[in-house]
Amino acid sequence: MSMFRAKKLDIGSFVNVKVIRDHTKRKVFAEYEPERQALRYIIQNTTLPARTRAEAQLQLTQMHCYTRPTQIRGRCLLGGKGRGILRDFRLSRYNFRLQALSGNIPGVQKASW
Amino acid sequence: MLMSTRSQASVADPKTDQLQLTNELPDPALENDVRLPRSVQALYLQPLRRETEYGVPSCDLQLRSYSIPNLEFFCDFALRAAYYLNLPAFGPVPLPKIIERWTVPRSHFIFKKSQENFERITRRRLIQIRDGHPETVQVWLAFLQKHAYYGIGMKANMWEYSPLDTSKQMDSELPSMQKSIDEKMELLGQSKVLGTVEKVKELLESERFKHTA
Repeated sequence: MSMFRAKKLDIGSFVNVKVIRDHTKRKVFAEYEPERQALRYIIQNTTLPARTRAEAQLQLTQMHCYTRPTQIRGRCLLGGKGRGILRDFRLSRYNFRLQALSGNIPGVQKASW
Repeated sequence: MLMSTRSQASVADPKTDQLQLTNELPDPALENDVRLPRSVQALYLQPLRRETEYGVPSCDLQLRSYSIPNLEFFCDFALRAAYYLNLPAFGPVPLPKIIERWTVPRSHFIFKKSQENFERITRRRLIQIRDGHPETVQVWLAFLQKHAYYGIGMKANMWEYSPLDTSKQMDSELPSMQKSIDEKMELLGQSKVLGTVEKVKELLESERFKHTA
């Protein structure tokens, strides 16, 4: 959402709309994490009155979807692809192959066994 | 001083009493008979080791790398450093390799039949110090860290032996150590405190929650 998006570009990787969106989601999640955790704590704390807990549930569901951790998705650093990402390298499978073959990833070689 | 010697040498008769200014042998034929200094010669031999007296382990250093030559070289260096610090070192023990493998399709989705395998093998070596004084061991570790070699990761476990009332002693030392501990801890793990506790208090006192309690 544009209200969360940074006014100036603040990432240095491959840039397209989806990458910027994912980056924004990460920042928003980090910003609102204490609030989410506090609400979750209130909801799960059975010693608090039921109405308080219900109110907390309401507030948690009303929070913006960008504050959810499930919105964050790994994206390729070199191509911005959202699928087929190797987590160890944060690259898509094809970019990983290119980089590995040109020897840019330390220690990674072609395997045969 | 140096200047004066030079001028004297230039003034003096070259044939009678010439001062030797370069580090060369008087007779080049003798060159093969001269042995290297012992410390230099030791570099061509296996690293020397100190004997243990009790065999109580005091430090485990694990070295990791993707390339064997670098790893072997740095193990050798670590053993030599331990020798000159009077630390009995054992190893290098080759630990099991860590093999990670990835399989990726060579091209587009529909050509799934043709794939390529990649692997990364992490080699590990363990060097154990026994009977080392904790301070000496720390000097050794600091020395290795200062001369860290490229492409080699190190991690160390240290053990210290202290009298039974350790907790009392640690309590008394705490105020003086607090500052340096905080400095180190800031570099470790999460540097940011989440602040959930304050947030819970703030929420429970907020307008929306007040009427619910």
